[in-house]
Amino acid sequence: MPRFTIAWRRIAPAQCMLSAALLPAVLVASLAANVAADEPDAVESKLSGKEIFAQQCAECHGGHGEGVADAREEPLHGDLPVEDLAIIIHDTMPEGAPEECVDESAEAVAQYIYETFYTAQARAKNQQPRIELSRLTVPQYINSVADLLSDSSRSFEWGEERGLSAEYYNSRNFRRQERKIERTDPQIDFDFGEKSPKADEIQDEEFSMRWEGSLFAHESGDYEFCLKTENGARLWVNDDDRALIDGWVSSGGEVRELRATLPLIGGRAYPIRVDYFKYKDKTASIELEWKPPHKAWEVIPERHLTPREVPSTFVVTTAFPPDDSSVGYERGTSVSRAWHEAATFAAIETANHVVERLDRYADSQADDEDRPRKLREFCYRLAERAFRRPLTDEEKQTFVDDQFEQTETLDLAVKRSVLLILQSPRFLYPQIAAQPEDDYQVATRLALALWDSLPDETLRKAAAQGELKTPEQVTRHAQRLLSDPRAKAKVQAFFHHWLELDEAEEITKDVEAFPGFDDQFISDLRTSLEMFLNEVVWAEQSDYRHLLLADYLFVNDRMAEFYGLQTPDGDGFHKVADDSHDRAGVMTHPLVLSMFAYHKSTSPIHRGVFLTRKVMGRALKPPPEAIQFMEGQFEPHLTMREKVAALTGSDNCQNCHRIINPLGFSLEHFDAVGRFRSEENGKPIDAASDYPSISGEPVRIAGARDVAEQAVASSHAQQGFVEQLFHHVVKQPVYAYGPDRLEKLHASFEQSEFNIQKLLVRIATVSALRGDAQP
Amino acid sequence: MSHAQQWRKDRREFLRDLGLSAAAAPLVLGLPSLGFAASAARKQRLIVMFSPNGIVPPVFWPDEEGEEFSLKPILEPLAPFKDRLLTLKGISNKIRGDGDGHMRGMSCLLTGIELFPGNIQGGSDTPAGWASGISIDQEIKNYFQERTESRTRFGSLEFGVVVPDRADPWTRMVYAGPNQPVAPIDDPYRMFDKLYGSVKDKASLQSVLDDLTEDLKNVRGLVSADDRHLLEEHESLIRQMEQDLAAADQQQEHRVVPDLELGVKNDNDNMPQLSKMQIDLLVSGLTNDMARVATLQFTNSVGNARMRWLDIDEGHHSLSHDPDLNEESQEKLTKINTWFCEQLAYLARRLDETPEPGGEGSMLDNTLIVWTNELGKGNSHTLNDIPFVLVGGGLGFRMGRALEYKRAPHNRLLLAFAHAVGHELETFGNPGHCEDGVLTGLI
Repeated sequence: MPRFTIAWRRIAPAQCMLSAALLPAVLVASLAANVAADEPDAVESKLSGKEIFAQQCAECHGGHGEGVADAREEPLHGDLPVEDLAIIIHDTMPEGAPEECVDESAEAVAQYIYETFYTAQARAKNQQPRIELSRLTVPQYINSVADLLSDSSRSFEWGEERGLSAEYYNSRNFRRQERKIERTDPQIDFDFGEKSPKADEIQDEEFSMRWEGSLFAHESGDYEFCLKTENGARLWVNDDDRALIDGWVSSGGEVRELRATLPLIGGRAYPIRVDYFKYKDKTASIELEWKPPHKAWEVIPERHLTPREVPSTFVVTTAFPPDDSSVGYERGTSVSRAWHEAATFAAIETANHVVERLDRYADSQADDEDRPRKLREFCYRLAERAFRRPLTDEEKQTFVDDQFEQTETLDLAVKRSVLLILQSPRFLYPQIAAQPEDDYQVATRLALALWDSLPDETLRKAAAQGELKTPEQVTRHAQRLLSDPRAKAKVQAFFHHWLELDEAEEITKDVEAFPGFDDQFISDLRTSLEMFLNEVVWAEQSDYRHLLLADYLFVNDRMAEFYGLQTPDGDGFHKVADDSHDRAGVMTHPLVLSMFAYHKSTSPIHRGVFLTRKVMGRALKPPPEAIQFMEGQFEPHLTMREKVAALTGSDNCQNCHRIINPLGFSLEHFDAVGRFRSEENGKPIDAASDYPSISGEPVRIAGARDVAEQAVASSHAQQGFVEQLFHHVVKQPVYAYGPDRLEKLHASFEQSEFNIQKLLVRIATVSALRGDAQP
Repeated sequence: MSHAQQWRKDRREFLRDLGLSAAAAPLVLGLPSLGFAASAARKQRLIVMFSPNGIVPPVFWPDEEGEEFSLKPILEPLAPFKDRLLTLKGISNKIRGDGDGHMRGMSCLLTGIELFPGNIQGGSDTPAGWASGISIDQEIKNYFQERTESRTRFGSLEFGVVVPDRADPWTRMVYAGPNQPVAPIDDPYRMFDKLYGSVKDKASLQSVLDDLTEDLKNVRGLVSADDRHLLEEHESLIRQMEQDLAAADQQQEHRVVPDLELGVKNDNDNMPQLSKMQIDLLVSGLTNDMARVATLQFTNSVGNARMRWLDIDEGHHSLSHDPDLNEESQEKLTKINTWFCEQLAYLARRLDETPEPGGEGSMLDNTLIVWTNELGKGNSHTLNDIPFVLVGGGLGFRMGRALEYKRAPHNRLLLAFAHAVGHELETFGNPGHCEDGVLTGLI
C-alpha cells in the first residue's frame, strides 16, 4: 500500500458528519491511478480501513457509503484529496466522538473509502456502469426522420457566398423581357419611398422582385418570420408548394406586418424565396425579419443566407416531452406514456406527409403501371434506412409486403408501412440489431454520436463493404462527419449546455443603471458568444485552452460602444482584442457575466458556482441551508465581496464556499453587465484570494486570467471537460467504456494540444467501436 | 395573410382527435346516439352557395310575384322544393369604391362593405385590396360559437369546387374580419382529412398495432436481460393505447363517415364528381354537427369553367360577356346556370332525405340554403338584381314565394339573416346601406 504523507494543515472543519463538501463532477485520476484495485490491506495497524469503516461509519453512511435514510442520506461520494478526507475524519468522525478515529486509523479509513467508492473512478472500477439500451432522444428522433426522408445524399456545402440572388423587373408580374437587375442582395430590407429601385430603367408605378436561395438555421427550435410591406409579397420557407406567408394583396396602403412560425432543425439549410410586387401603391418597401430561438427580432442577416439552392427538409412538428437529463445530459434510457404518444403521433404526422407527396418521394406517377412496384421499393428503402441495415426477407414481408397485401389502396399500404417502420423498436432503439456485432452497428453509432441521426449513404456503403472495422477506418469517417453542419449544431448545443445558456433568456437588468441593455442587446451578446465559440472550436488548432484564455471578443457597433471598445468600420461583428481588461475567454464573456449576476449587482456566488462546476470540473452539493442574498440587509457602504464574505462566513458554508468564493471574487472586476470596473462604492476592487486547488494546495488567484491559467493547467478541469463532452455526444456514461476510458481520452486530448475537434473524433470513434479504439 | 398554420400540434389535440382523452367528451356529446336528446332548441343552419358571372334573367326570375308563380327553366331543378323556396329579385349590391364590378361583386357580397385600396387591378376601375369587414356567415358563426347550445367543432366550413389556387378579391367571399379573407377548401380529400382525418389515422394505427406488438416480441431476444424491462414497458404502452383506441371506437361507432370515390383529380373536367363529393361531405359534416354555417363556392368571380360535360367548350366567363342577342350563348349560359341549380337541388335533396338528428323533421327543415352570385347579369356587369334564391326552413322565413324589391341594398338582407338566428345587429357592413333596417317581407 502506497503511503502518503498527511500535511496536518487545518482545513475548514467539517460540521457533523463527513459531508466532504464536494461531490465529483469528475474524478481525480492522478492519485488513484497508481493505487491497487483491491481493498487496502491492514498491514500493521490493528484494524484495516475496511474494518474500521464497518464498525464506526457504516451505521450512518451505509455499508458501501451509499447513505442511510434518516441518518446520512447523501452518498459518500466526492472529489476531495485523500489527505483532506483523512483530516476531516481525524477532526470530526465519528460524529460526537472524533477521538475514536484519529491519525493512522483516520488515514486507513480515508484510504479505504477513497479507493472503494468515494471517487467516481473507484466506483467505475468496482461497480462498472454498463451501456444501457436507449431509445432515440428527441433531437435524435427529429434528425433521423428528417434524414430518412431527405433525398439528397450529399451533405450541404454552405460555400463562401452570402445573401440571396435577386431579380428586379420593370413589370408587376416578373416578365422575363422586363428583367432589369440581377444581383446578390445581402438581406431584404428596402425602402424605395415613392421611387423605383432603379430610376430610368424601372418605372415608379409598378415593378416586381424575386429573391431566392437558402437560409441557415444554427439552432433547433421555432423560428418566427415577419414580412413587412405595404405592397404585395409572398414568403416560402422549406416548402416550395405552400407559401408560409401570403401577402400578395396590398390592402389599405399601410405597412402590414405578416407573421408566421416554423420549426427548423439546427445545422441545416432550408430553401427560401420571396416574391414581391408594387402596383400603384403610393410607396414601396419590404423587410424580411426573423426571430430565431433565444434571439430577438432582426432583419435576417447576410451570414444566414446564401444564393445556393437546397432541397427542403421534413421537420416533425409533434411536440415531445423533454428527455431525461437528470444525470447532467439528455439520454433515452426510459419510456413514458407521454413519450410513446408523441412518438405515435409523430409517426402519423410523418406517414401523412409521405402519402401527400408520395409520387415525389417514390419517383412514381399516378397512372404509372409500375407504381405499385415503385411504392413497394420506396418502402423497402425507407425501412432499410430507418433500421440502419439491409432488410431480411422476413422484415420485407412484415414491414412492407404484408401491408401492401392487406390494404385496398396503395396510399393506405404506404401509410401503414411508414407507421409500422417508424414505430418499430428497430428504428426507435438504434442498439437493437441482429447479433453478432457488425459494421452497420458501427455506422449507426458513429452517425448518432456526431449527427444525432442516421448514417448517410457513404457510411451505409462503407458498412456494406466491411470498411468500418479498424479505429483508423472509423476515425476517417468520424472526421468526415465532423465537417458537416449537423455536427456543428450538435457541438454548439453542447456549449449551450456547458455554459447554461438556456438561462440567458431570463436576463433582465435595471434599465436605469444599464441603459441600452435590452433584449436586442442580449441577443447581440448571444451572437457574439456563439461566434467566439465557433472561432475557437472550428479553427484548425481547436484549442480548448483558448476557450478560457482568449483575450478577444466579437463585438458589433452597439456592443463596442457599451464596452468601450473600438471597432473597425463596417456592419456586423468584428473580432476585437480587449487585452487591457483581464478578459479570459468564455469566463469573462459579457453574456456569461450578465447571466451569473443580479439585476443591478454582480453575484460572486453564482459566478463562483459556475466556475467551480463547469470550468474547474468540481461539482458541489446543494447548500445545507437555503440562504437568500438580500441586498437590503447589508450596510450600503460594503462591497459585494464584503457582503458575500459575511453571508458565507460560517464553517458550515465554508465547506463549499472556500472554493466558490475565491473563484467568484476573481470576476469582481466585471459588473452585472460584464463591463470592466476598478472600484465599487468608492473602494478599489479586490479580486485576489487563495483558492484551494483540487490537490489541496492553496493557489493565489488575483483575477479572471489567473483562474483560466489554473483551469487550463489542471488535469482535473480538463477531464471534467472531456467527460461532459463525452456524455453530450454519446449519451452513455464514460465508465461504461472501461474504467480507464476517461484517462485515456484525457491523455490523447493532452497529446493533441487539447484539440477539441480531435477529441470529438476520438469520442465518436470510441463510441462507434464500443471502446476498442487504440490509443 | 399568413395561412392558418397548425404547424405544432398539441398532444392533447391529437388525443382528442383520436378520441383518446377526456377532452374528447364535447365531441362525443355531439354524436347522434348520445347528445342530440340534450339539445332543446332547434338547430339553425345557414349554407351560402355561390356561382359566378351573373345569370340569364329572362329564364331565371319568375314572372309572377307571391305564392302563385312558375319556375323558369334555370330554376326548374328546384321543382320538388317549390313550396320551400324564396326568390328575391331587386336586391342590389350598392357597394362602390375601389375594385372592378367582379371584385366588389365577390368580396362585398357577404361583407356589404367597401374594399381597401390595394394593388390588385381589375378589368376596369381602380386597383383594390381586401374587403374592409367581416362576412355575414362568419358573423353568424361567431355568434353561434359564443353560445354553448350552438357551439360546434369547426363553427363553419368553407367548401369550394375548382377554385383557382390564388388569393385575391375575386377568389374570396368569406372574411373573418377586415383584411382577413378565408380560403375555401376545394380538394375533397383535404376536406375529408379536415373532417375525418383522425378517423383514418386511428384506423391505420389500429391496423398496425398487432404487427408492432409482434415486432417487439421478436426483438426482445436481441437485447440483454438487463435491458429487457425497457422493451416490456414499451410493449405495455402499446397495449394501453390499443385498449384506449378500442374504447374510443365504442363511443364513436355512430359517426357517419362518407365513402369518397378515390383518385378523383381536382380539375375542371371532374367538376361534376367534385361537386357531388363536396356536397356529400358538407351534408355529412352538418349531420355530425361539426358546423352550423357553411359556404360552397363554385369556381370564383370571373370563373371560367369549361362545362364540356354539357357539350359547352367555351369558358363560362367568356360566354357571359356575349350580348343578349347571341342566342346560342344565352342558351349555353342557361344550361350552365341550370347545372348550378342542379347542384343546389342535389344539396337540398340530400338534406331533405336526412332526418334531423335528435330533432324534428328533416335537416332541410332546419337549414337555409342561399344561392347567390357576384353579378346580376354577365354582359352588363350590373350589381343590381343580384340573384338570391333561398331554400329550406332553417331561418323561419315564409317560403314558397317569389318576392320583388326595388333596388334594396343587400346589406338589409344580410342583416335579416343575422336577425333570423337571433343576432339582432343594428347594421351590417356599410351602415349607410342599412338605414331602412332589416329587409321586410321575409317572415
